[in-house]
Amino acid sequence: MTESALTCENITKTYGKKKALNNFKIDAPKNKIVGVLGPNGSGKSTLFRMITGLVKPDHGSIEVLGKIPGWQTNRDIAYLPDRARWYPGHTVGRAFDWASNFLPDFDMTSAEKLARYMDIDLDTQTRGMSRGQEARLMLILCVARHVPLVVLDEPFSGIDVISREHIIEGIIEYLSEREQTILISTHEIHEVEGLFEYAVLMDKGEAIWSGDTEELRAQYGSMHSVFRTFYKRRLTEDDV
Amino acid sequence: MDIEEVGGIRFHINFSQPLYEQILDQIRSAIAKGEIELGEKIPSVRELAQGLRINPNTVMRAYQELERDGLTEKRRGQGTFVTSSSSKVKTFRMELAKDHIAAFLNQMENLGFTWTEIKDYISNNYDASKGGEQV
Repeated sequence: MTESALTCENITKTYGKKKALNNFKIDAPKNKIVGVLGPNGSGKSTLFRMITGLVKPDHGSIEVLGKIPGWQTNRDIAYLPDRARWYPGHTVGRAFDWASNFLPDFDMTSAEKLARYMDIDLDTQTRGMSRGQEARLMLILCVARHVPLVVLDEPFSGIDVISREHIIEGIIEYLSEREQTILISTHEIHEVEGLFEYAVLMDKGEAIWSGDTEELRAQYGSMHSVFRTFYKRRLTEDDV
Repeated sequence: MDIEEVGGIRFHINFSQPLYEQILDQIRSAIAKGEIELGEKIPSVRELAQGLRINPNTVMRAYQELERDGLTEKRRGQGTFVTSSSSKVKTFRMELAKDHIAAFLNQMENLGFTWTEIKDYISNNYDASKGGEQV
């Protein structure tokens, strides 16, 4: 039996009248790249905040690596938030030094290797970086950690094509070396879908489909087209 | 559909079908057709994953299956190579041919053709495509 990286049982989370998560159920396996896919506002970020213990479910239960999320589990998670915050006056190299001082599981050798691979120069000033370069740096700071779970919230959004390619290459390069679960949320599936081994399709706080991506392809076609079909259908249902 | 060339092998990856099978089938047929030669090195799992933008675990599964087929062999520290045994490739090529023929016959029978009609159709069609040459 494969172990679970993330188990959610009938989770509901309400903000005012809006149900951010609605009877949400998934069981995502360990050591795979899991794509959490859905349009903006479908509950992806709420889910990710719940994984890191920042938000608690109103109903239902969540287990991350077999435990209830909290500060203890957060030591095992490298989390890339959807917006990067940065420290002026640093170079990339100094950011790595900072990370290796403060993150006990940070692996400098991997970080430098990934930086070379993703075309980020260690002498670059973080102040002048483009969004794409910043996204690459944040990604390196996350994945260069020896932790069982990496959580990337929208790592591809709002960045240039080259940066996106570099990030995909970096993830593949890095994956060939290690066993780790990577959860990636995105609403841009094209070009990235080959990375995912397991997918969760979210809409209006529900998991409308989850499972092995190869099964999804065999049954419904590419994720890109499935995505459009699923959501179009739901749109029409709502209109009735 | 994109065509990517990785390490001398051409791939057409279609994301609407399982990726593992496509990688497996396309390397198998490249070997059967002789596009990759006996004893030649094939791309590493990482190179192919990078070239096709596909999860390395998916590529790895296809590579394990190729090894089980006896079409490739791993050499410690050197990578994966096509078998140097021409008889293995020949046998495999025949297996592929059998599969194709069985699928073709099945479809023709579903369309209601008799064996004689199928035979006539094949030889006429073949002659036409060769400009009427006798084989």
